[in-house]
Amino acid sequence: MTSHPANGLDDIVHQRVRLGILTIAHEARRVEFSYLRDTLGLTAGNLSQHLGVLETAGLIAIEKGYAGKRARTWVTLTKAGQAALEDEIAQLKLLISRIEPAGTSPS
Amino acid sequence: MTSGAAFSGDDPRRLLSGTRELTRQVRKTQRATWFPLLVLALVTFAAIPFRYSPHRLGTCIATGPGRVCTAYPPALLVYWPTALVLAYVVIAAFYLRRSQARGVGTRVRPYVVAGIILALAMTGSLVWTLYHPLAFTLAGRVLLPALASYSFAIGLALVVLAWAERNGALLAVALGYLAVVLVAVNFGSVSGHRGLGFPVQLVTAGSVLLLGGIGFLLAQRPWRRAA
Repeated sequence: MTSHPANGLDDIVHQRVRLGILTIAHEARRVEFSYLRDTLGLTAGNLSQHLGVLETAGLIAIEKGYAGKRARTWVTLTKAGQAALEDEIAQLKLLISRIEPAGTSPS
Repeated sequence: MTSGAAFSGDDPRRLLSGTRELTRQVRKTQRATWFPLLVLALVTFAAIPFRYSPHRLGTCIATGPGRVCTAYPPALLVYWPTALVLAYVVIAAFYLRRSQARGVGTRVRPYVVAGIILALAMTGSLVWTLYHPLAFTLAGRVLLPALASYSFAIGLALVVLAWAERNGALLAVALGYLAVVLVAVNFGSVSGHRGLGFPVQLVTAGSVLLLGGIGFLLAQRPWRRAA
């Protein structure tokens, strides 16, 4: 018996903001805090909380530095983060493939 | 600019379409396709005066009825690799500076590395052909001279940039440019070294790069984000 794809979802990654952070970090290779905040439409505090969860789980690495006098925080995806993102996308596709035939059948 | 509204809800379909939208948005932020095209157009046009610099006779080989010799302008042979390496360094610096300003990493490294390797490899192959005058006549009068040209090397590197930027429009421009370079190899004089480019070939290739650069500049409108 195969388990339902929903059982394979990681609670840390299966959350829209954290999935968004991982997606952007994957595509950008390296992304700055303010870009994430503006693109995802979050407050700085809210974004910091989500980054903390992802960093604790080892899915992202956070690097703090300066550009001139301006403090900047850069986020990069770890190998574990890359694998978690790929797994989440695969699980989502699997879920959709299961949902779509059920949605088209008469109720 | 925010895509927070587009990226909402826990429905798998919305989550997946949200990730696609974010991916598209990041790629749009990363792209600065107009800059390398305009720089390379400038490098191509700037090569034209060097074409009129004094020529030097290379190697001669005796064939049945006579002799086949190579002739080349040494200044152009120095100009191309120097200008291309400098251009790729400028392009890399531009992308890195832009990346810092916008807060998004850049994918320019494969392009810059490929561009520099191709420029140096092209120089090596051209120097080799100077000592082997029959190479082009034996291998074909059209295809090989086109493939062994700096203009073609620029086009190949642009294909790498299109892959790095996941940029379909740039891939179309790069392939179109390569086709133009292949066709334009027969334009102009039949004497001298084709790989270095004749003025009419350089004007043709440079014009394609210039038009492509202007097109991407208008499409990407970098001044709008900076405002």
